[in-house]
Amino acid sequence: MPATSVDTFFACSLMVLLVLSAMAGASKVLYPQISNSVDEFAYERYMEISKHLLLNPGEPADWGQNSQVVPEKFGLAEANAEILYALDIDKVSRLNDQNRFSLSYAQMFASLKISDVSFRIEIEPIFEVSINLTATFHAENETIYKFEVSTEKQGAPVEAELKYYVVAENHFEGSQAHTSNGVAAFNVTLPENVGGPALLVVFAKAVYNIRMVSFSVYAFEHSLGEPQPVGTFLRLSPLNHTLEAFFGYQEITLTEAYALTFNYSSTLAKIANGNQSATYSIPCFQDSSPILLVVTGRNSTAFFAEWTSYPQVPLQTGVNFDDSTTISNVFAYSYIVTIDNALYRCKLWLGGPRL
Amino acid sequence: MKRQNVGQIRILEAFLAVLIIFSAFAVSANLTITRSNMESDDLASVGLQALMQLDSDGGLSKLIDEEDWVGLRETLSLTLPAGTSFNMTVYDEQMQQVNPTLISNGALIGQKTAFVEYVCVSRKPLFRCYVIHLQLAVAK
Repeated sequence: MPATSVDTFFACSLMVLLVLSAMAGASKVLYPQISNSVDEFAYERYMEISKHLLLNPGEPADWGQNSQVVPEKFGLAEANAEILYALDIDKVSRLNDQNRFSLSYAQMFASLKISDVSFRIEIEPIFEVSINLTATFHAENETIYKFEVSTEKQGAPVEAELKYYVVAENHFEGSQAHTSNGVAAFNVTLPENVGGPALLVVFAKAVYNIRMVSFSVYAFEHSLGEPQPVGTFLRLSPLNHTLEAFFGYQEITLTEAYALTFNYSSTLAKIANGNQSATYSIPCFQDSSPILLVVTGRNSTAFFAEWTSYPQVPLQTGVNFDDSTTISNVFAYSYIVTIDNALYRCKLWLGGPRL
Repeated sequence: MKRQNVGQIRILEAFLAVLIIFSAFAVSANLTITRSNMESDDLASVGLQALMQLDSDGGLSKLIDEEDWVGLRETLSLTLPAGTSFNMTVYDEQMQQVNPTLISNGALIGQKTAFVEYVCVSRKPLFRCYVIHLQLAVAK
């Protein structure tokens, strides 16, 4: 074979290699640009949808208050709100599946009327409160429980004022504490003649902003009364400043019901008493705080204390996107929202098919 | 040119072409990857929304009126998502800096940065207007 043919063959091979490399390089360089523009479009679109959810009251505007109404158009804003991102306490409560009048995801999805967008809604207090029972001391006629309460935001301590209530059978007391570097310790003393289990309700208010209030509830054994999981005896569904308590057993009798906030506490007035349910009126407190509702009673011979919050937060509803991020465009949007004059963190996840 | 040198020239040409085209790719790769504004827009939106909510009951201007810079820092730290660092400066109507101390939760370390300008007013004891400059950063 002549030397020129070898040279030509070699040169042609180089050119083919060059073209192939150029194609690979071009696709590598351009792909992020193309996919980025698609993502950016989806990001903007979903952000507008998330704002729409939080800034519009939906139709009818008072769909949250009426337990029988399913919204024609989905929106969580308070009707005639004076500030932006103010959510309706009842609409939020109806997102929680603990509420008997909650909307199903199918109902929310249908009323949003955007067929290619799935969503998830999470609402929680600005910071977390955790309660630990660190020690128990038995005296002659009483038991002393030592609690440690910590307030933190994702690991960082939060300075807060604490207000705590202890509820047991024929027993109700409230007291205050202050966290130092996000931790507070206090004792709760219960006489032996008080029936258990007992409930410790702790409210924490951020020192520098009175609208940042969080809470936690801890049920503990006392006088041989063991706490049961929440919802065992009663299903509590607050709506339109009315608390519906649906019985889990036939033999239930209710004794007391309380509404608790950071600054105020009140017993609830029973306005209706059915065979398998009871209805209480929830007072409107002038307090930037969630309302903790505690209902006590007896199931045959066992004492119980059930509780829920109004609005019913923290809540998580909607689609779980954990396994869908590779095949879908999923974006998360974080907002600070106001519910009944208290601040909460709302995270909206929206996703749809990758274009 | 001698006939037996033609092949060598072609190889040299091919190498030159490879060099030119690959250097063009190297340069264009840096030119075409433009940074998306999406993430910094998101951060600015979060910052602006946080300021709006804090101001919705007049709490933001109250903290400024009382010159409670620690309270302002702690409130912002709670409101902004975890891992967000910020630097805030408050100006009056004449754009004179009001806060004598730094309102910050640490150095602005992060690849995503954003800037928010927010105007808030206070009515107690006099009507006052403040311009807030908030710089935000978060690690990617």
